[in-house]
Amino acid sequence: MIRVAAVGDIHMGPDSEGLLRPAFETLPDCADLLLLAGDLTRHGTPQEARVVAREVRGLPVPVVAVLGNHDHHDEQPEKVTEILREAGATVLEGEGTVVECAGGRVGVAGTKGFGGGFVGRSAGEFGEPVMKEFVRTTRRSADSLHAALKKLDEEDCTARVALTHFSPVADTLAGEPPEIHPFLGSYLLAEAIDTAGADLAVHGHAHLGTEHGMTAGGVRVRNVAQPVIRRAFNVYRLGTA
Amino acid sequence: MSDPVGHQGPAASGPAPAAGMPENVEYRVAHLQDRLAAEELGELGVRAEVRAGAIALTGTVPSAQCRETVLRLAREELAGLTVHADLVVAQTARPDHAEEL
Repeated sequence: MIRVAAVGDIHMGPDSEGLLRPAFETLPDCADLLLLAGDLTRHGTPQEARVVAREVRGLPVPVVAVLGNHDHHDEQPEKVTEILREAGATVLEGEGTVVECAGGRVGVAGTKGFGGGFVGRSAGEFGEPVMKEFVRTTRRSADSLHAALKKLDEEDCTARVALTHFSPVADTLAGEPPEIHPFLGSYLLAEAIDTAGADLAVHGHAHLGTEHGMTAGGVRVRNVAQPVIRRAFNVYRLGTA
Repeated sequence: MSDPVGHQGPAASGPAPAAGMPENVEYRVAHLQDRLAAEELGELGVRAEVRAGAIALTGTVPSAQCRETVLRLAREELAGLTVHADLVVAQTARPDHAEEL
């Protein structure tokens, strides 16, 4: 059994210093690793990233993160990534990592993802350059997720998890206005997950959404945005049911 | 907060309505949302909607201080309008159970 803890959208700033640390310190009791599903900061400033870094530094379980759109706002995602890595977190963008747990090897493939919407109501790679670039950004992200999951498939993993910030499915957006779904996720992410294979998909971004969903291919999807789960993190035990 | 807020706050952002034109509340709500995103909060998770002539503010914010800032910006931008706020501060307790998958 592998125990995956996950939370996204913690939106930390100077006034939230230390808020999550007490709960994070209990992680070894209930989880083998912690996934952070992006939007760890409010504006993506180094100052905010350092608040997140202090929250996770030295935790007794491995921490694997992707960034979210907020973490890009200050236009220095590389700096945010560097600060989190320096604190010991593995930050993924279009790549995978393998975490050795007591219950086996868990492969995590991560990318921020992007928008575009869902089948029948999605943006197309057509028209103005900025529109084409919008959809291509999502496609590149989905392609990298697919490649990372395929690579993990060759690494003898007990379980594989897809970690994104944007949602791969509309299910977990229930509660958000349908008009903004194209800004909340893309079916291209789900297609990548279904064609490469995964045991669980975890995302954030949709604060008003719901926790549970599933891809067309049957992969369970969990929206772990903190406003949705209303806890410091949730725990999913893989390989028990 | 659910009282009509006074006009004593700083002037609202955005262009003022032309003389003789009725004020458009929807644009004032949009300007509030712009400020929530653009200023110190970077807040995209608060919903502001016109309901029966009042403004409803709903959502979850990361801290009590963020909540106060949202309410202050709402007082400034929506001065003179009735605002009903139901803003929750994100909970930080550990879970009491796991989901078996």
